[in-house]
Amino acid sequence: MERVPYWNISHGLLIDLLSLPALAVFGYGIYRHWCRIRQGKASIRLGLTLDALKLGPVYVRSFLTRGIVGTPIYKKLFTGIAHGLLFWGMVLLSVGTMLVFANVLFKLPVFKGEFNRLFMGLTLDAAGLAALAGVLFLLIRRLFPPERLTCFKANSAFILIEAGIIAIIVTGFFIEGARIAQTGVDPGSFVGNWLAAQLAGLGTLPAIHRYLWWTHGLISLALIAYIPYSPLVHLVLAPANAGLDIPLPGPKMGVIDFEAFEGEGDETPSLGVSKLADFSRKNLLDISTCLKCGRCHEVCPAAQTGKRLSPKGVMVTLAEYLQQGKMDDDSLLDTISIDAIYSCTTCAACMEACPVAVNQPNAILRMRQHLLMERSEIPDIMGQAHRSLEARHHPFVGTGFGPNDWRKGLDVPFYEKDTTEYLLWIGCSVAYEERTQNIARAMVAILKNAGVSFGILEENRCTGDPAKQMGNEFLFTEIAGQNIEEFNELGVTRVITLCPHCFNSFTRHYPLLGAKFDVIPHAVLIRNLIEAGTIRLANSGQAICYHDPCYLGRHNSVLSDPRQVVSSVGQLVEMPRSGCESFCCGAGGGNYWTEEEGTRINQTRAKEALDTGAVTIATACPFCMLMLTDGLKKFTEEQMVKDIAELVCSQMEA
Amino acid sequence: MQIVVLAKVVPDYEVPSADFELVENRAHPRYTRMIGLYDENAVEVGVQLKEKLGADLTIVSYGLSDDVQFLRKALAMGADKIVLVEGNSDDPYVIAANLKDAIDRQGSVDLVLAGRQSSDMDRGVVPGLLAGMLDYPFVPQACSVENVDGGWKIAQITETGKRLMKLTGKGVLSITSVPENVPRIPAVKAIFAAKKKPVEKLAEIGARSMSISELSVTIPKMESVCELIPAEDMDDAVRVLLRRLKEERFL
Repeated sequence: MERVPYWNISHGLLIDLLSLPALAVFGYGIYRHWCRIRQGKASIRLGLTLDALKLGPVYVRSFLTRGIVGTPIYKKLFTGIAHGLLFWGMVLLSVGTMLVFANVLFKLPVFKGEFNRLFMGLTLDAAGLAALAGVLFLLIRRLFPPERLTCFKANSAFILIEAGIIAIIVTGFFIEGARIAQTGVDPGSFVGNWLAAQLAGLGTLPAIHRYLWWTHGLISLALIAYIPYSPLVHLVLAPANAGLDIPLPGPKMGVIDFEAFEGEGDETPSLGVSKLADFSRKNLLDISTCLKCGRCHEVCPAAQTGKRLSPKGVMVTLAEYLQQGKMDDDSLLDTISIDAIYSCTTCAACMEACPVAVNQPNAILRMRQHLLMERSEIPDIMGQAHRSLEARHHPFVGTGFGPNDWRKGLDVPFYEKDTTEYLLWIGCSVAYEERTQNIARAMVAILKNAGVSFGILEENRCTGDPAKQMGNEFLFTEIAGQNIEEFNELGVTRVITLCPHCFNSFTRHYPLLGAKFDVIPHAVLIRNLIEAGTIRLANSGQAICYHDPCYLGRHNSVLSDPRQVVSSVGQLVEMPRSGCESFCCGAGGGNYWTEEEGTRINQTRAKEALDTGAVTIATACPFCMLMLTDGLKKFTEEQMVKDIAELVCSQMEA
Repeated sequence: MQIVVLAKVVPDYEVPSADFELVENRAHPRYTRMIGLYDENAVEVGVQLKEKLGADLTIVSYGLSDDVQFLRKALAMGADKIVLVEGNSDDPYVIAANLKDAIDRQGSVDLVLAGRQSSDMDRGVVPGLLAGMLDYPFVPQACSVENVDGGWKIAQITETGKRLMKLTGKGVLSITSVPENVPRIPAVKAIFAAKKKPVEKLAEIGARSMSISELSVTIPKMESVCELIPAEDMDDAVRVLLRRLKEERFL
């Protein structure tokens, strides 16, 4: 017999009517989030044209993949599957419920024939089982949680939610079973039919059915109303956050326009963030969306080596302030602590791990900007590097080398207007440390061997990126402005970088200040030369493991080119954490100049590289090279770290 | 109340010795210029006093016209104005006389602070000479100053210890560096504000110079002389190394 909705239930339409207040409570909760987030400032425009489909402010691809499908959550496979089963199971069950409503209200014939058997029966029962399995996994994990879930703050409301969902699914199945036990087998409903067989003969079935039916409906409505007041709000906020996130890796800091400061008025905007109200709406949406799952905590080089910083800790503090409406409370930075704010290496591993598209480093760096540009606060050693950058335009305080020492006794051409094709940009990290100077010499040899038209600047300089990472956007803007001016005078159109930090600065930030030139990282250029057969290499066959510099890999998706280079001089070996999941060397965000608390990040990473058994550790960043070389000293006396340019140079055939 | 801080713009004092070269007996002009190391400590002490006492803080310098761009950092740190006497003498007596003239023009000055020595000539005599010319007491190697009942409580620090003193009336102090007077990083707003603060340039006055003339200037040359000791037998190598070190009187 065809299923009759609201069979055995009198006044069943009450549930439909009650859904209206539940939805109103839901709507009000979402509106409260909206109002909170609207208190933020408009986001800084990045001024970059992205090749990405956009509907209004929403990036469609990111919305669908990261927001709806939730791709990042599957990086933890079991949790991902459990979450997927629960989410998609509940989606199907909700569709089923809507179809029942449609049948009641508009006589939609959903209980007929094959559709009834395959969808309303088979699919929905399977969906129910899947969701139940998923939610049970998640509940058990909440009851026996890994550290990441509980550190700083456990989102314990999830336990209530999970219990609620289990109650909804279990009552749902029993209602189905009780109904079928009295009305006869429903084709396709394999769980309901089985339960019906077990329940058959119970005299109180109609009463059980009635009570369960109302319980099921009321819990469901209560849960819907509860969504915006609980972590379940991620159902709404996570897709929104993913859709509004500019689909570029990295913290997306943009630049600051300092023109407002030139005027006569005393009213100049406060720089950086000292209180919640200074954050952008996207930052506030991030804070509202964060689920405290701690995946960022697990991958953060600072948090994992005993520093005061944990990206989760920062988000928890920010969320507490937001929850308590402390929009103008400027105790925020001191609560999070200056140490924590400066411990961030800006490696963006947290962003990569975050399942809901939160941009933690952006929030941290905005607070850092305030500390340095308004409060003049910076840790001692980083402060010395900063002072050097300010006075000498390079941060390598106490260096034993002059800017041109790296090319002593070497014939390196200068860039000439209209004649030279590439400007070989040396930068500070290559010029002022003995170990890294060889990278530049190797690169010069490669370019000469390949017959590439290149030249260097007569006066070596820094991009100003360390200033930006330390929080001094003003100094960065000043140095970048001078560089751009010089590039324009020289007519530079193509630049080769040896340092991924220079590359990132040139491609992400310089264009916003008016720069118009193409930049190619040396890893990509060398790969191109190898592929074109311009340089020929002898493969040593030795095991070489490749350490991904954060600013080349995670921040700029240059992952395969350096690997191809390594593969052409040796046998590539991967570390457990590689590619976009690579572990930072510890130098980023100005932390090359720091007195580290706890375990040293570079030693942690050097050990990981050493454990691969590789003979050589290759990288493509001078900072990574310095950090790993230093970190390795704890374990071996061998000089194992090489830049890919050095490797290529030594295997080059004339 | 008015406090004067003396500041001298010098070539980068951290140029690595391997990269250091002279032109006409002075540092090559290619090196970046900046306020001297200890002078910045003196500016910081001045700014701290200004904040506590509400004093006016004037930077007085003797140097080149172009030095103003570097001296502005002192304004960004919190000083109120710059007075620059334009001149290029290296004679401490001439410099002191010119600084005295500039200070005399500032009206009543309660305290003069200077770095313990400049970062280029490293003589540390100008503040003392100036104190003599002003007829003020001179306290060298001061690290902190406090205003106490009409006078100054000064801590003097040397390699062997610390001495507390009280100075009644006016004085010249030369400041050495301690963690408490690490120069602050100017806030961005202060950098912009510094662009609007007054800069006064004075012409040099004639002054008698010392009867000293420079004969030559040399800088240490970096040389590496390498002697390889065969290391086939480690014990033997250590013996040879020790013998050689003793022969050359390193041990």
